[in-house]
Amino acid sequence: MLYAVLLGLFLPLVSFLGLMSASNIIGRRLTGFIACASVLISFVCFSSLLWIYTNTQMQPQTFFIYHWIPVSGIDADFTLYIDPLALLMTLIITGIGFLIHLYSIGYIEHEEDFARYFACLNFFIFAMLLLVLAGNLLLLFAGWEGVGLASYLLVGYWYHRPAAAQAATKAFVVNRIGDCGFLIALLLTFQIFGTGEITDVTQRVAQLFAIGAPLLTLMTFLYFVGAMGKSAQLPLQVWLPDAMEGPTPVSALIHAATMVTAGVYLVVRMHDVYLLTPLTLYIIAIIGAATALFAALCALAQTDLKRVLAYSTISQLGYMFLACGVGAFYAGMFHLTTHAFVKALLFLAAGNVVHMMHGSTNMDYMGGLWKIFFKTRWLFLIGAIALAGIPPLAIFFSKDLILEQVHHAGYELLFYTGLLTSILTAFYMTRAYYLTFLGKTRLEEKIIKVVEEAPSIMTGPVTALAVLSIIGGFLGYAFGAMPPLESFLHKVGIGLPGNQPSGNFVFTLETLASTVGALLAIALAYTIYSKYAQRLGAPLQVLKKAFYIDQIYDLLFVNPLKFVASLITRFIEPKMIEGSILATAHGTQKTARWLQQMQSGQIRSYVAWMAIGMALLIVYMAF
Amino acid sequence: MDILFFIYISMAMFAVGVIGVLVKRNALIFFLSIELMLNAANLLFVAFARQWGNETGLVWVFFVLVVAAAEAAVGLALIINLFRSKQIVDVDQYNVLKG
Amino acid sequence: MFPFATIAQWILGIVLVLSSFGVILLEKPIHASLSFLLTLLMLAALYLQLSAQFIAVMQVLVYAGAILVIFMFVIVLFQDAYQQLSKFQPRSYKPFLIFAAIAFTGSLIFLGYQLRAHPPAQRALPTGYGTVESLGEALYLDFFFPFEAVIFVFLIALIGAVYIGRKAK
Repeated sequence: MLYAVLLGLFLPLVSFLGLMSASNIIGRRLTGFIACASVLISFVCFSSLLWIYTNTQMQPQTFFIYHWIPVSGIDADFTLYIDPLALLMTLIITGIGFLIHLYSIGYIEHEEDFARYFACLNFFIFAMLLLVLAGNLLLLFAGWEGVGLASYLLVGYWYHRPAAAQAATKAFVVNRIGDCGFLIALLLTFQIFGTGEITDVTQRVAQLFAIGAPLLTLMTFLYFVGAMGKSAQLPLQVWLPDAMEGPTPVSALIHAATMVTAGVYLVVRMHDVYLLTPLTLYIIAIIGAATALFAALCALAQTDLKRVLAYSTISQLGYMFLACGVGAFYAGMFHLTTHAFVKALLFLAAGNVVHMMHGSTNMDYMGGLWKIFFKTRWLFLIGAIALAGIPPLAIFFSKDLILEQVHHAGYELLFYTGLLTSILTAFYMTRAYYLTFLGKTRLEEKIIKVVEEAPSIMTGPVTALAVLSIIGGFLGYAFGAMPPLESFLHKVGIGLPGNQPSGNFVFTLETLASTVGALLAIALAYTIYSKYAQRLGAPLQVLKKAFYIDQIYDLLFVNPLKFVASLITRFIEPKMIEGSILATAHGTQKTARWLQQMQSGQIRSYVAWMAIGMALLIVYMAF
Repeated sequence: MDILFFIYISMAMFAVGVIGVLVKRNALIFFLSIELMLNAANLLFVAFARQWGNETGLVWVFFVLVVAAAEAAVGLALIINLFRSKQIVDVDQYNVLKG
Repeated sequence: MFPFATIAQWILGIVLVLSSFGVILLEKPIHASLSFLLTLLMLAALYLQLSAQFIAVMQVLVYAGAILVIFMFVIVLFQDAYQQLSKFQPRSYKPFLIFAAIAFTGSLIFLGYQLRAHPPAQRALPTGYGTVESLGEALYLDFFFPFEAVIFVFLIALIGAVYIGRKAK
């Protein structure tokens, strides 16, 4: 079984290295084939592991590979930990990853640099797998950094576009800020527990600390800071909308389904520790809810199709953290799974449109594409309805579970925030759909003639995702007390507060409220945008610019740093550092030139020097 | 007192020679000052030879005399050569070895 | 009253110094070389006073008779050249030279002052001191190698002077 794990983990890495080195030799088709095949084989490995796990009553296992850092005090080993949570994540990563790889073959058709793209995608898969399979927190951090790097490489794929390069840098830097928190938490972990092994930490934490211990609270909060950076929560969410500069499949894979969920995974993985720190959980819940509302508000006013989806992702991630914050870790993971399906579907469907419109994502110039994209129009519709939370599509089950849990835990304000956000979600998704596909077309005549439906290599994977979106919810729907997903995760203690099965919570008052609200929102949005579109001015600038948060950050952080940097470049470096080196050179030259005057060729000067020397000698000897 | 007298005379002559080398620009007087210095040294040798009663000093004077003659000959030949090429006797103008 | 020797010494010494000043102070080179001649003759007389007969005669013969004659030849050759000195600018930094001269002279005066306190005692003169015979013995017996070497130097200088001084073809 170890071999299955190792093959599944390292095959994408080998593929990455191979594609990077042989990029000149291998042709387009072969590159795509190798990339997709490696992910598919990974998926097969992990599915077989799943089969073994469920059918042979296996227990969570740690595989020790080798002593990575045998330094006393750190003692980090390269260990892989297989348990249901990790298996779930690996299946999501490799499964959706495979579909996106297939899709990319069509998307990258017109690009010259396809080898780099597929290589970086494979590297991302490897890093993400490393992250979820890691048994040691330091190894997890290595995967954490790896996905950050992959994100940078892929967002900046079109590096010659300044906007893309800046967005990639912004993503990396904001991520880094979160990583700072993660590192400090990691150091605290090593200090407190003496080890970074996750199993050791989670097992010993109850013995070492009482509930609410300050040191533990600090540690968990700092881990959450790392999660904030990676999963784009308030206030570190600024990088995700800009990261839409990358190719759409990248947005689908990294910024919807997998990388941004790494933060959620971290919190869920450490749930034993988080349950001991109610203060941190409360903070997580508040930040999650606030982020969800904030992002939903911003999504209402975006004119860029991908940005709507980006803010939507931030909003849904907020939901996941809200769930974790009230202790409903299973609900968070369930939402993660369903959201992965639906968001990937939405992004790829949007990618169909964007690709056939040759990169344009501005909804101001779309509309009426219903007549052109005869497949994608349905696929996007399924995704939009699913995200709005309409039963029996996927998100309905997970989102309502979260709302119920929040209400049950007694957080009234957070519940209403979540409810409002889900209504807004329905609203802006309908708006996005309408502006893109329905209504009178705003395209120019000549563009209408050349735009057509996407090729089947692109619509195929999207269709598969659509199917998953429809039936995926039933993974978590119980025809009984405990649905399959929950019973799977329950084995490692990931469940709902009080360990109650979720079957108790299917059709309750909260469900009714959210469903009715969503339907009303859809109707409202449809009416507004179809009839009163002309009377609607430009969307509120405040919302469109995300409450000017980018500008605020620029003012507070970026510009002072730029000023300091320019100060150093213009004054300190040339005058002081380089200047001192130049001064040495100049000083030597000046001294040499001054000394040169002594060699004037004048005999009398030479004699004079000799006379002076003699005089000194005589005086010295005469003493 | 005796020997001091000769020491002082010799020193005075030597100093005059040095001043002459430093101050005069005519190459020939320059050379003459050098000879003056040599003679001052000779005087000192002879005086001290008499002081210590040692003839070695006189032998040295002999050698100095011979070498001075040789040096004068060669030096003057050089000056003649220089004058032929440059038509100048100013030592300050002989600065080809500058730098 | 002072003995004759002392007075003679003093007169010779003073004239010597004065004439050496004359070498550097006189304007025309001819006058300077004549002043030099006077210096040499005074020196010869002083040598005689110091019982160095051979050296005194040698001085007159070699220095005054040979070297000075050569000098005079060359001076006569360039007798008008000294006038053109006024055409050229001095190139050396004059205050520096004067400073060097003063420094040197000062140091010598300082040395002389230091020596004042300790006049060394005189020893007895051996017989035949300063005569040709004793000097000849010293040269040929004790200092034979330097003698031969110096003759060799002389030969080289002779050849060199002839070579340097000939007219360019």
